[in-house]
Amino acid sequence: MRLLAKGVAALAALALLAGCGAGVSSSAADSSGKTVVTWWTLNQSAPSADDQINKLISDFEAANPTIKIERTSRAVDAHKDALRTAIGTSAAPDIYNYWAGPGLGGELVKANASADLADYYKQYNWESRFTSAALNPVKQYGGFQGVPWKLNGEGIYYNKTLFAKAGITELPTTIDELNGAAAKLKSAGITPIEFGGTVNWHVMRLLDTFLEGYCGSAKFDQLVSNKANWGQEDCVTKSFTNLAKWSKDYLNPGFIGINNDESSALFYTGRAAMALEGDWFNKNISDQKVNMDDFGVFPLPSGTGRLYGFEEAEYIGKDSPHKDAAAKFLDYLTSTKVQQQVLGTFGTQSVNKDVTPSTTANALGKSWDGIFKDAKGLYMNNDQNLSQSATTEYWRIQNLVATGGLDPAKAGSEFQKFLDSSN
Amino acid sequence: MWKRIASGGFVAALPFLAPALAAYVVFVIGPMFSAIRLSLYKWSGFTTDQQVFVGFQNYVRLFTKDPVFWTAVQNSIVWVLLSLVIPTTLGLVMALALNRPVFGRNVFRSVFYIPGVLAPIAIANMWRWMYNPNYGVFSDISKALHIGDGSGTTFLSDPKVAIYAIFAAFVWQIAGLNMVLFLAGLQSVSKELVESARLDGANAWGVFRHVTFPALRPTVVVVLVLTIVNSIKVFDLVVGMTGGGPAQKSQVLALWSYTQSFLNHDFGLGNATATILLLITLALVVPYMIWSTKGNED
Repeated sequence: MRLLAKGVAALAALALLAGCGAGVSSSAADSSGKTVVTWWTLNQSAPSADDQINKLISDFEAANPTIKIERTSRAVDAHKDALRTAIGTSAAPDIYNYWAGPGLGGELVKANASADLADYYKQYNWESRFTSAALNPVKQYGGFQGVPWKLNGEGIYYNKTLFAKAGITELPTTIDELNGAAAKLKSAGITPIEFGGTVNWHVMRLLDTFLEGYCGSAKFDQLVSNKANWGQEDCVTKSFTNLAKWSKDYLNPGFIGINNDESSALFYTGRAAMALEGDWFNKNISDQKVNMDDFGVFPLPSGTGRLYGFEEAEYIGKDSPHKDAAAKFLDYLTSTKVQQQVLGTFGTQSVNKDVTPSTTANALGKSWDGIFKDAKGLYMNNDQNLSQSATTEYWRIQNLVATGGLDPAKAGSEFQKFLDSSN
Repeated sequence: MWKRIASGGFVAALPFLAPALAAYVVFVIGPMFSAIRLSLYKWSGFTTDQQVFVGFQNYVRLFTKDPVFWTAVQNSIVWVLLSLVIPTTLGLVMALALNRPVFGRNVFRSVFYIPGVLAPIAIANMWRWMYNPNYGVFSDISKALHIGDGSGTTFLSDPKVAIYAIFAAFVWQIAGLNMVLFLAGLQSVSKELVESARLDGANAWGVFRHVTFPALRPTVVVVLVLTIVNSIKVFDLVVGMTGGGPAQKSQVLALWSYTQSFLNHDFGLGNATATILLLITLALVVPYMIWSTKGNED
C-alpha cells in the first residue's frame, strides 16, 4: 500500500509540475526582462496576410523594446477549443481574436473572459478612432468589450457575361427582383448561384438574406434576439419557402455534398453566375488569375439598406496581468498608420474612420467602398446572432428544408420549439 | 472472496500492478466518473462559468426534446447491427478463401489488412474524395449508370443514404482486421478432424458447419465483441465524411456527445449522451468480460 501511495503521490507531483509549467507562459517576463504579451489569433488563409501580421509584430517590438508579442495562431475550431479550456486559468492569453457577435464573442463576455476596456478607450481616445459600424459590436454588451479589428461586409458577386447572356440589365434591389434574376439565369441554362452545403454557414447566408428581406430589419432583430416567435411570422415561412425553391431550382446541383471552396470554383470558372461572399472574396478572385473586370458585386437586395456582415475584435483577457502592454499593442494595431498599411489584406474596409480608401483598389474594391458608404447599419450572420446550440439547430432545419426533408411551413415552428425548450 | 484474492497471489502482485492501477484510476476511471457527474449539471465548459446541479434534467431533455438524439441512437443501432453481419461475414469469407494454398495469398492478406492499420480520418478523407460529386470515382459510376439525379451526388449529400455511404468505408476498414483474426482462429482447427469429416463423406459446407465453425467459436466471440465496440464508438469516419450531416441525418451517439460539449458549449447534455453511450457499451461488453474471465479461471 505504501508503494501505491508513493505512486499516487508521484503522479500528483508530476501533474502539479505540469500544471505549473502550463501556467508560466502567459504571465512571465522573458530572460531579458521584457513584458511578454500573449496573443491568440486565427490562422490566415493567405500566406501574405500571415506575413503581414508577423511584420506588424516585429515593427511594434522595434518601437517598444520592453514588450514582446508572443503570437499563437490556430484553425477556427482549435482556436475556440483552446480558448474554452484556457479562459479563467493562468494559461489564458493576454489578447485573443474573436468574432464580435453575441453567439460567439458574446458567449465569452458572458463567461467573464473579456476585460471592459473603458479606461483604455478614454486613455487612447479610441471612441473617436473607429467608425460607428465598427464600434457598435464592441459596445453591445455594455462597456467596451474588445477593440474592433476587421469589419467584413457580404454581398452578391456576379459574372457580368452570364448576367448579360440571361438578359439581366438591372441589378436586383429587392428579394423579388433577385428571384426574377435567378429565374432568368435558369431559363438561359445557367446555374444561378453557387453554394457549398457541407459547411452549413454558406447556405445560411442565403436564408439570412431572405429573412432580412421578407421580415424587415426590426423583425429580423426581434427574431434573432428571441423577442419574436419564429413559428408565428409569415415572413419566416416565406423565407424558408424561398430557400426550398432556390435549393431545388437555382443552386448548383449537389451543393449539399460539397464545401465552399469547391463551389467557389464554379464561380471562378463561369459555371455559376453568382456567389454570396464577403469583401475578402476580391482577393480569392484575383488569386485565380482571371480578369477582374468580368465580375461585379452588389449589396444583398434585402430592401432594408442594412449591410450584411460581421466583425472580428481583439479582446483583452479579464485576468491578464499585462493589460497596459496589451492595450498599447492594440492601439498600435488599430492606428491610422497601420490600418492604412494593411487595408485590403484582411478586408476592403478599415475599422479606423481616418483611413482613406485605397487608390490602387480594383473595381470590385471600389464597389465595396460604395456599398459600405451607403449602408444604413449592419445585420449579422445568424451563426453570430444565435447561441452555438441554436445555430446547430438552425442549420439542421435549414438543411432539412433545403434537401426536401421538412415542409417550409413547419420550419419556423420547429426552430421555435427548440428555442422554447432551451430556455 | 478475500480468501480467494489472497490465495490467488493478488497481494504479491499488487506492488507490480500498483503504478498501472494508479494511472488507470487517475486517467480512466476518474474522468469516467467526472463525465457521469457532469451529466447531472448544466455547464458551458468555461472554467469561469458556474456548474449548476440540475439532476436528471439533461437526460429528460435528451429523451424528450433533443431533436437529434434519437436519430443518433437509431444510426448507432443500425451501425452495430450492420457491422455484426457485413464486415464480420466478409472477414470470415476472406479468411476461409485465403487459408487455402492459393497463388499470391500473402499479398492478398496484406492488401486486405492494410485498411485496418490506416488512421480512420485518413480513410474518411480518401472515401470523401471517392464520393466527391465533381471528380469522385463513385460519382462517375453513378453518372454512367444514370443513378439518382445524374449529378453523381447521391451519396454523402443524400440524407437517407449518407449514413450507409459512411458505413461502406467502415466495412472497407474493418473487414481486413476481422479476416486476420479469423485466419488466426483457423490455425486452431484440427486438421485431423477436417480430414476425418471428409473421409466420412462430408462436403465443403458440411466440414465448415460441423468442424470448422464450432472450432472458430471463441474467435467469433472476440470478433463480434470488437466489432460492437468499434461500431458503437464510431466517430472519426463520420466527422471526416459528413460531420453528422446533411441535416444531422448521419449523426451517431459519440459524435453527438462531442458536438453538444465542444461545439454547442453544453457539457451537461454532452456528458449525458456520453454516459448513455457508456452504459450501452458496458451492457454489451460486460457479459463478454464475465464469460472470458470464467474461461481463464476454469
